[in-house]
Order: sequence, then C-alpha cells, then structure tokens
Amino acid sequence: MTAALRAERVSLSFGDTPALRGAEFAADPGEIVAIIGPSGSGKSTLLHCLAGILVPDEGEIRVDGQRLDTMSEADRSALRRDRFGFVFQFGQLVPELTAAENVALPLLLSGTRRGEAVKRAEKELSRLGLDGLGGRRSGELSGGQAQRVALARALAGSPRVIFADEPTGSLDSLTGEQVMDLLVGTAREQGTTVVIVTHDARVAAYADREVMVRDGRVTSPVGLS
Amino acid sequence: MIRLGLRMALGRDGLGRLGLIGGAVATGVAMLLGVLAGVNAVQAQNLRYSWLNSGVTSAATGPAAKDPAWWAPRQDYFQGRSVIRIDVAPTGPSGPVPPGMPALPSAGSYYASPALTKLIATTPADRLGDRFPGRQAGVIGTSALPGPDALIIVVGLTEAEVRARDGAVRIDRIVSASPSSCDGCYIGIGGEALTLTLGVVGVALLFPLLMFVGTATRLAAARREQRFAAMRLLGATPRQVSTLATVESAVAAGLGTVAGFGLYAPVRTGLSHIPFTGERFFASHLTLTWAQIVAVAIGVPLGAAVAARLALRRVRISPLGVTRRATPRPPRAWRLVPLAAGLAELAWFVGRRPSTSDGQLLAYLSGIFVVMTGLVVAGPYLTLLGSKAMARWSRHPAGLIAGRRLADDPRTGFRAVSGLMLALFVTSVATGVIGTMVAGQGDRSDSARKLSMTSLPHDQAPGEKDLAALAAVDGVDHVQIVRYDENRGENGLPGLISCADLAALRDYGRCAPGAEVARVFSDLSAPDGVPPHWETAPVSAASLAARPALSLVVLTDGSPAAVERSRTILESAFPASRPPLTDREWNTDFARTLVQFQRLADIVVVTSLVIAGCALAVAVTGGLNERRRPFSLLRLADVRLAELRRVVALESAVPLLAVSVVAIGAGFLSAHLFLRSQLQDNLVAPPASYYALVSLGLALSLGLITSTMPLLRRVTGPDTVRNE
Repeated sequence: MTAALRAERVSLSFGDTPALRGAEFAADPGEIVAIIGPSGSGKSTLLHCLAGILVPDEGEIRVDGQRLDTMSEADRSALRRDRFGFVFQFGQLVPELTAAENVALPLLLSGTRRGEAVKRAEKELSRLGLDGLGGRRSGELSGGQAQRVALARALAGSPRVIFADEPTGSLDSLTGEQVMDLLVGTAREQGTTVVIVTHDARVAAYADREVMVRDGRVTSPVGLS
Repeated sequence: MIRLGLRMALGRDGLGRLGLIGGAVATGVAMLLGVLAGVNAVQAQNLRYSWLNSGVTSAATGPAAKDPAWWAPRQDYFQGRSVIRIDVAPTGPSGPVPPGMPALPSAGSYYASPALTKLIATTPADRLGDRFPGRQAGVIGTSALPGPDALIIVVGLTEAEVRARDGAVRIDRIVSASPSSCDGCYIGIGGEALTLTLGVVGVALLFPLLMFVGTATRLAAARREQRFAAMRLLGATPRQVSTLATVESAVAAGLGTVAGFGLYAPVRTGLSHIPFTGERFFASHLTLTWAQIVAVAIGVPLGAAVAARLALRRVRISPLGVTRRATPRPPRAWRLVPLAAGLAELAWFVGRRPSTSDGQLLAYLSGIFVVMTGLVVAGPYLTLLGSKAMARWSRHPAGLIAGRRLADDPRTGFRAVSGLMLALFVTSVATGVIGTMVAGQGDRSDSARKLSMTSLPHDQAPGEKDLAALAAVDGVDHVQIVRYDENRGENGLPGLISCADLAALRDYGRCAPGAEVARVFSDLSAPDGVPPHWETAPVSAASLAARPALSLVVLTDGSPAAVERSRTILESAFPASRPPLTDREWNTDFARTLVQFQRLADIVVVTSLVIAGCALAVAVTGGLNERRRPFSLLRLADVRLAELRRVVALESAVPLLAVSVVAIGAGFLSAHLFLRSQLQDNLVAPPASYYALVSLGLALSLGLITSTMPLLRRVTGPDTVRNE
C-alpha cells in the first residue's frame, strides 16, 4: 500500500541553526498520527515540510507516492488547495470575510463558483454545530467557534490530508476536547489522514500512533514499512 | 480573485487605506490635470499672440488684402506692466483686418483691449492716455487677446507717422501662426520651452505619485501579511495574493482618479488667476482634450496597478507569514561618500565655470543629481546615527525604544521620509537660486527710479520745452542728456557725459581724476551694479552740447506718478523712438520668468509634500499594526498610552526633522556653490514664502503622524492580546 505521506532523510536548517536532521516519517491513508516532542524539537518544522510550506534542504517527501519537495511553488500551492486542509493554533481566518466566506475560501481559490462554495461552506458549518454563525466575522466569534470554523474550512474541500498544528493550543480543555472530537470524528468518517503536532498528551491520545521528534530527529517508530 | 480584492478594498478594514491612497492619488491627479490644462492654455494663449507678429512678413499666412497697411509694433510699459502697442496706417479701405476688430483704425483713432480701456479711463491722462493720440474707435474683442488682463492697443496714424517708426513695415496679411512655430516672430512666449517645462512638472508630479502607490501597497501587504499568509496556506499562489493586493491599490487609485477629476475644478479656477506666462489664462483656454482625459483616467489606475505589482515583488509572503526576518546589516559610513562627492563636484566648479552653456548644464545638473542621490544613499546612515544618539542619551523609555527600533532597521525608518527629504532639497535649491537671481535682477531699491530713453533720433535734440516739462513733473529730481560719440573708445561705450554732471548724479560712477568728460553706457547703467570709474573721453565738456543726443535719463523719486508722467512726456516728444524704460522694467521679463519657474517648483513641492505626508502616515500606521501585540502587552504591563504615543512620535518625527535639516542644508549649500560658480554671487536669505512652505509641509507631516495616534489606542486594547 502506498503511504499517504512519506518523508525520508529530511534535513532543514534556518541559517546556521539545524531544525531537522534526517527526519523520517510516514502515514497511511486514513491514519491519524500525532507528532509530539518538546518545544524547539522541530515537530512544527516537520509538519511544514510535509505540507509543502517549507522545502527541505535534503531528503524526499512524497504525497501518495508523488515527490513534493521537487515541485514548484505554484504546484505546492495547488496541492495545498486541492488535497490538504489546515488547522493551526491561531491567525488563520481572514478578518474581512465572514465565517462562511472563510470556509468557502479554498473552494473559491480553486475556481468553484461563489454560490456553490458558500452553500457547501454553510453545510460544513452546520455539520460542526455552527448553524447561524456563517454571517459573523472572525472578531465576533469565540476562540472555540473560530477554531471550529477553521476546522470546517479544512474539511470543506474534502482533503486527503489534514495538518493540525497545536489545534487546541489557544482553547480551554473542554473546548479543545470538543474541537478534537469533531476533527477526529469527521476525519474517520471521511477516511482522511490527519497529522497533528502537539505537546499535549490528551490531544496525542486521539491519534492512532505517536511519533516523537527530538533535536530534529524522529526517535520513535516511523510507522509504515 | 479580483472580486475578492474588491471586497477587501471596500471592506471596513480597507477604508482607511483606501482613503489615504485615494486622497494622495486625487491630489496628484488634480495637479496633473491642471498641468495638462496649463499646457493646452499656453498653446492657446500663444496662438492669440500670432496677429501681433504680422510685421514679420515672411510668416504671413492667408489671402493678401487689396490695400496694404503700414505696421509698427512696440512694447510700452505702465507701472511695470507690459503694454503692446501697434501703430498702423491703412492705405485703403480694404486693408488686412486683425481679429477682434472690424477694421484697422484710421488715423486719429485707436482700438484698445478691455483691460487697457479700463486703465485709460481710470488713470489721469498725463500718465497714460496722452500717449495714444485720437479717440477710441472700439474695444478689441477677446479673440485677439492672450488673456483677460492683456494690455494691447492698435493706434491709427498717418502713413508718414508710422513709416517714421522704428521697425515699421508694410503688410498685406495678418499672421495666424503661433509664435512658437513661426520663424522670426518675437511677440509671444517661449511656448515650446514652457510646454517642455510643464511636461517635466507633470512627470515630477506623476513620479512621486506612483512611488507612493507602490510604497503604500508594499507596506499594506506587509502589514496584512497574516491574512495573506492564511490565504497562501490554503493554497493561494503568490500570483493570486499579488493580484489581490494589486486590485486593492488599483481600486483606491481608480477612486482617487475620479476624485482627482472633481478636485480639478477648483485647481482650474486657481490656475486661471495665476499669470504663469505673464498673462492670466482665459478660463476657456484651461481645457483638456478627450485624449488627455482618457489617458489620465486609464493611465493613472493602470500605472498604479503596475507600480503596486512591481512593489509587491519585494514582499515575499509565505504560508507562515513574511519570510523569516533577520536583523539587516546596519548601514555603513561609506554611504556619506556620494553626498560628499556631489557637494565636492559643485565646489570644484567655483572659480572654474565651464565656458559653454552645455558644459555648465552638465556640470551643475550632474552635481545636483549626485547630491540628490547622495542624500537618498546617506539617509539610512544618518537615521542610524540619529537613532543611536537618541537611544544613548534619552532619559525616557520612549526614547530608548524608539531609538533601538530605528537603529534596528534605519532603512525602513528613512524610507518613510525620503520623499519629503527630496521635496525639501529641491525646493531649497530652487528657492536659493531663483530668490538670489530675482533679488539681483529686479528689486534693487533704486531700480524703479531711473527712466531711460535710449534711442533718441540723432537728428532731433531734446527741446527746451520738453526738458522743462520733465523738470516740472512732481518727483523728478534730475534730467540728464547723454551725448553720442561715434568713436566709442576702448570699451565700446557710445555715451558721453561731463564729469560735473556725473558728480551731481552721485550714484552712477565717477570720472578719473582730472578728467572732463567720461564715456558711459546710454542709460548710465553700471556693469554688475557697481558704480565704476568711467573711461576718460578725449573731448572737452564745452563741446558736448554740439554733439547729437544719444539718450535721456530721468531720475525720479521712484513714485509711479513721476515715472509715468515722465514716460508720457518722453513718448509724446519722441514718438518714433523706442519707449523709455526703468531698470526694473528692463529686468522684469527675466525676473518674471524666474518667478514663474519658482511657482512651478512650488506646485511640485506642495504636491510632493502632501504625497510624502501620506506615505509617512501609511508607514506610521503600518508600524503601529506591526507592533500591536507588543504594544498591547506593554499596556497590560501598565505602560501608559502617552508613553507609547511618545515612542511612535519619536520614531517618525526624529528622522523627519533630521532629514529635513540635512536636506535644507544640502539644498542651500548646493544653491550657494552654484551661485558662486555661475554668477559669482552669494546666496540671499530665502523669502518668507519659503519658510511658510517648509513650515506648512512639516506641520502637515507632523499632523499626519498625530492623526494616527487614535489608532494606537484602538489597536493596543486588551482585545488585541485576546484575539491574537
């Protein structure tokens, strides 16, 4: 079986500071993997490389068997738009747009007509219990609501992989739990691969498997053979 | 994407940015339209001068009249204003007919322009009306006038009288070619030169405008990196993000252009009151062609979009925010070298003035250009020095924070005020040079006192009656006849004056010891304005009276009544001679041209100041938004809002005032070096209008900084920390 995501010998430095040193990673289709590790260990950097946000200095990254690290910026943008979804800790909603428009944004970027995109966005919001909030702007939403809107946006395009970087980092434990239930529940329902970066053991517990990153290296079993 | 860009441009958050860019573009567009209308008006006005050149028979156009006419143009003056007078004598009823009148006036009558008609009616006849013999046959229509205030008169005389006039010719056609396209025409304005100058002014207005749009777009994009980054994360390509930001700026520029067309109406009204060419424009001449309207309406937003697009190439927005930022290397002292080189180049030419005008142009313009470039290059280093000093010596935390921040990235701090600095440099150079030249040319206290008639006919000596009439004028101190000497002496001076008379005149030079008669210029003017020791003439004082008269010099108390009465007597006594002039009137045309260029420079400066002020406001606002989180946290840590205000004010005001001082200093130094080299003259202190202009510009800029302060309270509220 081809891995949904695979990273081999991935290294990346910021100036003279190495962030990743030959990191290895793999995730099955539909698998939920948590990347854990102490602060500054390189777990977010690994996620950014897997998602095509950063390009590693060395090593290979494949998505459904296709090389990602050699793609052009435009191709990586298209990949993120069409096959990936993102839930980050904060700063991910566009404040000028309403919640529904934020959810519709990836669809609009990929050329879906506005009416259809907003309709699908409303449906996604409804599925996540955000009925009636589609017309609100990000500043008018609570932290939990904003995070669920971000989740709805990540799911709206029916992505192959969802990347979540500290998705509950800015939420209280109860709200965080609700967000994680929705993320994991919907992913399992749709068969979506999820890669979660967290330092919170309760969040990591939602995953099928945990991967430990320390000093830029993956120190626990990588997963697929 | 374009729709989304429109949405973001017109959304609540974008309105401030929209207003700022739109306002600056509106100002620039209104000025640009004014300049284009000015170019059209100059050409229309110049065409109205064409008929006055009908004496240039080689330029004649149109069908020939059956009866030719004698035609003699001359330039008269009244209280410093130019009066164009045409003496004519038709030889038959079917003579050539100029525009604005039904026929040429017959002997003993005249046609006068409305302004001159009014002036004649309201001025005592012995000061003006007596110069024009006969009765008024009618008023010259506007189709013959270059402007509403034009003083023009066509006087009908006998053929014998006109033929005796200096420069009289026989014409059978009225010229209708513009002086700028007519070989030999001399009445009118240097249309091509002025159009070229206005063209340069237009570019000078457009350039900072597009620079500003680019800067505003770049700063706005950098400020909104987080939301653009969010889009990049979701898969928006850099091109899509760039399109989004470009659409926002283009929309603002488009709305600004529309507003600029609205603002053009008062600009046009203002322009119609300013005599750029020496004559006010008719409002109907200040019009735009459809091609110009379309070019501005499409060109400015398009230019803004291109400028925005180009500017965004320097902003790299990654899905994680702007590309990881490291503290840039501080600017080094070598940045002072180009500025020093430019000033050194100008200083080198002091005492070594190039002999050709092309050489002078190359020497001085290249020097000024190198100084300007040097200021831009040195700006970040000077900002660094100022900020380090502020951080080191400040007793308040505000000074420390502001100083450290400026020192961390002095290039950005300087960029916000660089436009203002160049505007101040240009205005200081222009004011220094033009102000000194105008002071040297036209405004010496005695320049209106001396009235000289320098082309007396050799066969007509001034009669006792004329001299007595002049001496009887209230305010006339002395009447001097300068005699003609065909030998001219070593220096080619044509005039002779007895040393006794010269001593009585006091201010017009001295004879060599023991001399009886001196050689002088016909109007007794002194080279370089310094009363000289005149060359001795080998003739006796007693023999002077037998020589023909060269000129008549009338010294008055400088009052308009005395000057104009004397002029009227002289013109009536010697109608065939060129009209008498005061020194100030000799210099008026040149001084007026200089003042026109000063006015054009002022327009560029005021507009540049406004645009530079807007750029500053954009930069300050951008800086505030960039630091909303740390500032919010400082407020939560009990730092007073007033302290944060002081930080922002210091960050903006210190570079602003520092570069202003440097720009003004460099401007005046450059002007002084140019004046020393080219004219051996020292810089004269600038007029009050300069201080007013600079103070206005700085006050406007400081006001714009102050206007951003309410934003500080809003963006640093506790909600910011929570929402972030």
